[in-house]
Amino acid sequence: MFDLVFDTIYFASFSNFYGLSNISLSSFDILLAYVVAIVCSIIVALVLRLPLLPSKPYRYSFDVSALYPTPIIAIGIFSIFLVLNYTFMYNGLVLAVVIGVLSALFVKYLFDFVFPKPLDENAGEDINE
Amino acid sequence: MNEVIGIIIAAILCWLNFVIVDTYFGLPEQPGVRGARIIGKDVEKRGGDIAGGFFQGNILCSPDASAGTLMASIGYLLLGIPGGIIAAFLVFIGNRLCADPGYAGTTGCLTATAIIFLASFIGLTPEMFIVGMVIAIFTVMGIDQAKMSVVLGKIAKKFNRHARE
Repeated sequence: MFDLVFDTIYFASFSNFYGLSNISLSSFDILLAYVVAIVCSIIVALVLRLPLLPSKPYRYSFDVSALYPTPIIAIGIFSIFLVLNYTFMYNGLVLAVVIGVLSALFVKYLFDFVFPKPLDENAGEDINE
Repeated sequence: MNEVIGIIIAAILCWLNFVIVDTYFGLPEQPGVRGARIIGKDVEKRGGDIAGGFFQGNILCSPDASAGTLMASIGYLLLGIPGGIIAAFLVFIGNRLCADPGYAGTTGCLTATAIIFLASFIGLTPEMFIVGMVIAIFTVMGIDQAKMSVVLGKIAKKFNRHARE
């Protein structure tokens, strides 16, 4: 089983011929790039004045915040770049920073346009109607 | 590891993962989507528990931690750890499309990826987790819905997430 993990990470990082990187990524580099993407997206989201935590009963995730959708979008899109074998220069760190900034901007300005809140107001109401 | 033993262990791990995550994020407390209310009321009419009915309706009607665990297993099988994270991203988009307010799907997907990665050191493969997750969903939805909803209601009461409180 460990061979599968190693092989997939090795495959994801192997030979970036078409990027500007000439060093294949080790798994530590991939971990560092993930951490950079998460931290960068959270910091930019806080700079854009999104709240850090979602509103208190953690049940209505349409209220965006810095901790819930932003790092998920950032690391999801970064993973897609990783498995498509495109990590730009500096072991993928530049790509991680760019994706972190863009995902924070997306959550701040475009999220309500792309994923509008449901019109049905009583979708999650109490059972005692 | 022997396949049958591995599938049994993976089924137990998947069951604990999705039931704990779903219960913690309040699936038994209220129906997140419209169909879950109907299923919950119907299960209660057949002698079950309303909180367990809401739980079953929620995992049937929208992608929650059960779908997250299954998709994380498939993504891990295909692409490794990045595949599990892509699965979390896809479950997030699916939650938005279903108008499901909730954090359970994405969180369950990420915890399932972590569990599969940790279990890989003792020889459990992602294929075992796919089969185990199907078995786990079958025990919740397929054998006896009313009796299982009573068990889920007891778990919900232990987590202080029961609907009638």
